[in-house]
Amino acid sequence: MNHACDENPSRRRWRQAGRWLALAAALCLAWPLQTGSWTSVILPALSPHIAAGATLAARSAGIIGLLALPVSILILVFPRWFCRHACPVGLLQEQIEKLRRSPAPPWRRAPLLGRWMLLATLGGACLGYPFFLWLDPLALFNGFVNAWRAPLTGAALLAGIGLPLLLLLDLLLPRLWCQRVCPLGALQELLALFRRRLRPASRCETASEAETASAKGWTLARRGFLAAGAGAAGALGLGLGRERDPLPLRPPGSLGEDRFAGVCVRCGNCAQACPSRIVRPMLRGDLAGLLTPTLSFERDYCREDCHQCGRVCPSGAIARSSLQEKLRQVIGPARVDLDVCLLANGRECTACIQRCPFRAIALKTTQDGFATEPAVDLARCVGCGACEAVCPTRPARAIRVTARPGRLPVQPIPSASVPEREPTPNTPSIKS
Amino acid sequence: MKHTLNRRELLRLLSAAGLGAAFSRRAVADEIGTAVTNAPVPESKLVPSSTRPRYPAVLSGGKVIQPERPLAVAAETDVLVVGGGPAGFAAAVAAARAGVRTTLVERYGYFGGQWTGGLVLLVISSHARENGQLVKVLRGVGDELLERLTRIDGAVVNQAPGRHNPTSDPEATKFMMDEMIREAGVKVFLHCWVADVVMEGAALRGVVFESKAGRQAILARVVVDATGDGDVFAAAGAEHEQRLHAIGLVHRLGNTDRADAAQLKEAGIRSLGALEPLPSVKWVNLRGPSTDCLDVAELTRLEMEHRRSIWKRVQQLRKTPGGEKLFLLQTAPQLGVRISRLLAGTHQLTYAEARQGRKFPDTIAVGGAQNAQHIGWPIPYGALVPRKLDNLLAAGRCICVDEKLIEDMRLIASCLTTGHAAGAAAALAVQARCRPREIEIPRLQKLLRDQGAYLG
Ligand SMILES: Cc1cc2nc3c(=O)[nH]c(=O)nc-3n(C[C@H](O)[C@H](O)[C@H](O)COP(=O)(O)OP(=O)(O)OC[C@H]3O[C@@H](n4cnc5c(N)ncnc54)[C@H](O)[C@@H]3O)c2cc1C
Repeated sequence: MNHACDENPSRRRWRQAGRWLALAAALCLAWPLQTGSWTSVILPALSPHIAAGATLAARSAGIIGLLALPVSILILVFPRWFCRHACPVGLLQEQIEKLRRSPAPPWRRAPLLGRWMLLATLGGACLGYPFFLWLDPLALFNGFVNAWRAPLTGAALLAGIGLPLLLLLDLLLPRLWCQRVCPLGALQELLALFRRRLRPASRCETASEAETASAKGWTLARRGFLAAGAGAAGALGLGLGRERDPLPLRPPGSLGEDRFAGVCVRCGNCAQACPSRIVRPMLRGDLAGLLTPTLSFERDYCREDCHQCGRVCPSGAIARSSLQEKLRQVIGPARVDLDVCLLANGRECTACIQRCPFRAIALKTTQDGFATEPAVDLARCVGCGACEAVCPTRPARAIRVTARPGRLPVQPIPSASVPEREPTPNTPSIKS
Repeated sequence: MKHTLNRRELLRLLSAAGLGAAFSRRAVADEIGTAVTNAPVPESKLVPSSTRPRYPAVLSGGKVIQPERPLAVAAETDVLVVGGGPAGFAAAVAAARAGVRTTLVERYGYFGGQWTGGLVLLVISSHARENGQLVKVLRGVGDELLERLTRIDGAVVNQAPGRHNPTSDPEATKFMMDEMIREAGVKVFLHCWVADVVMEGAALRGVVFESKAGRQAILARVVVDATGDGDVFAAAGAEHEQRLHAIGLVHRLGNTDRADAAQLKEAGIRSLGALEPLPSVKWVNLRGPSTDCLDVAELTRLEMEHRRSIWKRVQQLRKTPGGEKLFLLQTAPQLGVRISRLLAGTHQLTYAEARQGRKFPDTIAVGGAQNAQHIGWPIPYGALVPRKLDNLLAAGRCICVDEKLIEDMRLIASCLTTGHAAGAAAALAVQARCRPREIEIPRLQKLLRDQGAYLG
């Protein structure tokens, strides 16, 4: 977003108008008037950066990936088209910079962090872990907007903190982000290099671009290869390290734990779309998983008539699936702690059995006939958490959903055991 | 002790017997149901054959035929409550306090049903939770009973502010129920088993019961079916659902304080049973197999099998290290029947409605939550009112709720509150001279509130 090239004022005015329009459009997309609207997937999905990283990592392209196609073409044809014409983050940064007394010189001497990060991301993506995908500006923007749509909690605000941090950074070190760090910007530059091979440099190239362009292709390729290799190696390491217990609960249809934190861009869409509000940004665990969505069944559960989170996930961290498919995706098995369970201790409580939408919990009588326990049928249980939400024991619930083993992909349960749907399709949420 | 009659005594006896024969039906009927009878009862009397009109069943053509016969009317009343369990007790007290003549018929010799005779001592669902706050939903007659128990040392635990799900002592509970029934002026028939109904056309006019005094009738303006099994509405031909459910038998263990819990746990025994107000005693729940409580053969089989397995289990416990001092204090006098018939009411309260906390214009009580961890749910009057049959209301564990919610609604606290509501509604219908389904709901709600009930 360097305006070193001369641009006639009227054209510039038009371009600025276009950018404000783009900002407004981005806001509308990120904050659809109708709650639960699937359209919130569009904004982050427009980013070719997310599309490339996620597609590589997931090794499959979904229809959502196509949304990035127009922008990809435009940035291929016009250098830095996205920064110049569309990026809402860039425009906000420019406005912030106006707050500064003295316009500081654009940041030139920092290394091209963004490029190396991008290469590491793509390299990691090949092994399923696109490292810095979450640094995508559209995802950060989207996450920020979503933070305000949720009921205000500390965690929600933290989930939206990326954009304010960027703006703060811009106030201190103007343009550092846009020119050196932003991976979407870096992607456009790489494409520009690629394009330069095809045709001579355009008039409007920035000094920095010219500079990099002059770098020897060979060096670049080698460094790129190294960065990508480092990314891949890191991905491998991270993936292996991801066997620890207890694993977080992920939305149904999520990628395996080895890839999830990488592919997830922290856009906040899933938490926002969830009608039961059980998707929460993760605050515990290691840094890599920070702010990724995790499930809490404290008050409510993953409803059998809903598959919203997968529909709004731009990166495919949560698979887009039909309701029928979603009903077979296992979040994790429910397990009973018999020491705590009221029924197992002689009390007339069958709260979990009554609640289970999948009829996956049965009464089991012990051999001597004097104790009765809830027994979870793992062929039917999808880990929706209805039992946990309704379980009346405190502080610990006697029945809890536990995460499925991390590296296993989603184990679909056989379709034969898909429930007869509840007689009431719109199962009300549990109020407590 | 040997007793020989002299001639004078014999003569006196014979004349008394002749007198008895003259108005036998009336006399017997009057004696039951009155708390104190001062009628001179001869120490012994000889009953010659044929002093009483007899209508035995006749074996005719291979079929047993019950001949038509007139029945003595033991009582005429405004509100008749059948069944003296938690629901029936609350219904009778509420109706009598509302100022109508009330009669209560119970097949056993005490009140409380499963709560006392079934030794199910824990009153679950007394509270709910709203916005994190504990809310007492069990108020009114049932709560008054528990409150009065707090004034007796060792009669109840967990009946205090901030506590929920009280446990009461069965003997103290029986005693206090007697007191409250007596104070309210309810006419009581114990040891009377309601076997049939009295119909006038399609209208229910009363019930027929069996006792040591033979088969008699009670006429009533409104009948509250608190038998738990819907015996009355079923006999009256009201639409209902019949369900199978687990039938158990509760027992009590003594000397539990002298057992070594840690040692027993090693042997795989998680707990000895549930808390009681009595020291060193625990009551032990038993679920039992799911079967039909309307089948006498099943009841007989279960009663004996359960008792045998309880006996064996306690012997086993006594052989287990840590459990040597335990002993079997008692098996429950009543088999643990949970659910059988459910009324088809004008509104079927569903699990989904309860979870949502759906509001009703005709709310008459609020259901509480297991462990007081969820919101309470309004219970509509329609769940007590039969679809077609008039002059009857259901209360307790046989009201109109769905298969899932009955697991909550059958708990003692809900039986106490729906019983209270049914009694008050029956009294209002009598006073307003209308059918129970026609009473003015706001008046019912006002009466309930005046009587201390909680409607949300
Ligand atoms: C094994 C077991 C464990 C339980 N544990 C708990 C618990 O821990 N906590 C809890 O809150 N609830 C528990 N329950 C449920 C609860 O005890 C009962 O559902 C509740 O007592 C029902 O009250 P009720 O008045 O509707 O019926 P009941 O208690 O069954 O009372 C019905 C009364 O009507 C009488 N009767 C029946 N038929 C006739 C007739 N034809 N003529 C005359 N009288 C008749 C009976 O003798 C009885 O007194 C348990 C139930 C069982 C069986």
